[in-house]
Amino acid sequence: MTDPHRLIGSLQRAGVRLALDTTDLSLLVALKARAERDSLVSFEEEELYSIFEQVFDLTEPDAQNPRKRATYAIQRLREQRLLSRVDGVGLAGPGEYSMTRLAIGIVDFFTADEALTRESLALLTKTLASQLTEVLREARTATDADKWRLAVVNPLRITIGELVAGIERRQRGLDDQQDEIRAEIGRLIQRDWFAAIEQSESLLERTTRTLQELNEVLLQDAGHLQSLLQEIEQLASQAGAKEAEAAAQRVSEQVDRVAAWGGARLRSWSDYYQLVQRYLRDVVRLDPERALSQRLRDQLANWPDQRFHLWTARSGRIRLLRDVDAKHDRPPVRRPRENRDRELAITARADPMEQLAARVAAALADGARTLADVVVCALPSVPTDEQYRAAGNVIALVARNAVAEMERERPWRRTIGKLHIEDWSITPKEKP
Amino acid sequence: MKEHPYDRLEDVVQDDIFPEVDLALREGRHIDRDDGDRFTFLCDAQKLLEDFYKRYGCMLVRVTDGYFYLLPSSDQFGRRQLTGAEMIAGQALALMYLDPASIEAAGVVSRQQVIELLSGLLGRERLIHILDFRRKRRDEKVEQDVIRKGIDAALRTLTTLGFIAKVDEDRFRLRAPLTRFIEPVRGLGDPRDALARLVARGEATLAQEEDEE
Repeated sequence: MTDPHRLIGSLQRAGVRLALDTTDLSLLVALKARAERDSLVSFEEEELYSIFEQVFDLTEPDAQNPRKRATYAIQRLREQRLLSRVDGVGLAGPGEYSMTRLAIGIVDFFTADEALTRESLALLTKTLASQLTEVLREARTATDADKWRLAVVNPLRITIGELVAGIERRQRGLDDQQDEIRAEIGRLIQRDWFAAIEQSESLLERTTRTLQELNEVLLQDAGHLQSLLQEIEQLASQAGAKEAEAAAQRVSEQVDRVAAWGGARLRSWSDYYQLVQRYLRDVVRLDPERALSQRLRDQLANWPDQRFHLWTARSGRIRLLRDVDAKHDRPPVRRPRENRDRELAITARADPMEQLAARVAAALADGARTLADVVVCALPSVPTDEQYRAAGNVIALVARNAVAEMERERPWRRTIGKLHIEDWSITPKEKP
Repeated sequence: MKEHPYDRLEDVVQDDIFPEVDLALREGRHIDRDDGDRFTFLCDAQKLLEDFYKRYGCMLVRVTDGYFYLLPSSDQFGRRQLTGAEMIAGQALALMYLDPASIEAAGVVSRQQVIELLSGLLGRERLIHILDFRRKRRDEKVEQDVIRKGIDAALRTLTTLGFIAKVDEDRFRLRAPLTRFIEPVRGLGDPRDALARLVARGEATLAQEEDEE
């Protein structure tokens, strides 16, 4: 490496900087993917615009004028030495561009990080075990809250958490890879029916081997990692270090997930493997010309005119007989016979006011000397919703048949239900 | 898996798995590799069980595609024929079984896919006529109901018979016994001749008859 001071100085003078947002990274990834797919070493300008517009459709679908944005993106990437123009035409015509080493290195960093192999997984789990051993040693000698936080909690959250997250990231990468392989097998079979057998089987075998290896590593190492974490958790619990205990539990759950992933993926891939093998054996090998599907399609389309029905067995279940009860004779249904006609009686319709007047007169004759007493005697037989109006009639009758005494204060008294009246002292009038 | 096949019928009948396999076969179920132990049991006991079921007037059929089923060969044994709805649904499912796209979906299809395939191949009018030929006047909503209910009922029966396995309310896993629906067209000859042979063997009938008890 050249003199770092000189290099730093020249960078400062030239104002070199690197500023990439997510869209810029996506553009570089798209360029690299296209270059690998089509074995390109450079891109023509129109091709560059086309790729960039496709990326903008995904990353910024609502953005206006993608062509202009693509122009700015190309300029930005050139200024940061991620794209270089490789033709000699100059400004006179459209150019040709290629990715620089810097751009390729940046893309490789993000894509290579997702690769999961037996070696990378073993390295990660061994590193994880080593870090946990160190944390356990610190946990055994931690005496106060600060020590627990610095020597146990922080490493668990940051360093170890990142390692486990790294494994999970790689697992996601392998999941994506498996999805791609399934899609590839589907495409192979659709494109080249019979010839796809060998290629499909090769893809299946390779992925099965990878998953088996990964699962072996996980089974071996997960147990050791969990025992280290359990010991840390126990020490934290005994010391009352709740934060450390919680951090250890979280990492333990992450390790569980990582270990469970291996078994689940192997089972799932095993089912898929059997499905494809069965398909290749039962369908592809029996019908290398792919004519069977077309004949079946014709059979179904013509079925309404050429009906046939398959037979299947249908033997009824064994009948379970219920216990026999002796039959009892039930008496016949009868109804009483009688003359249901009744003589109608003629009754006079009672006048409610006359009845009320009679009750008021009776109350006065019995010695009622206050308005409230008369109301209490006269209203009980009146329905509740009519009592208020009837009370008014009672007072009118009392005024006709008695004399009210003028008193300075007349108390309010409750009579029947919720009916309150201002009570008057009364004296019945003498009858002529 | 047992190391040695059974030597005597008594050993087969005494096996713990025999009652459930026997009941399943008698109810018309097709048993394939996905049935695990049941399939293994039938493979091991095939010869003895063939003679056993022959006495009841039915044949234990093993198909090279990898499944077993009972085929009644006389009136002694009860039998049923698949209805029109079950036949067209079965053939549609068999078509999906042959389609490479089913691999990517892990052999799982939805009810809606079955309906769309049948509507596309048969046409809506013919589909409704097969599912409900008695109804004369209908509107679009009623038609949709007829199709949905008819196909639902057919899929339920096909699930019971082991042609498909239910994954959830809307999705089903395709199984090897669906190849029974392919039999008339499996060879390169005239499908009518192949169908005639199936009828002669008692595998199929050309007209819908009353269900036999």
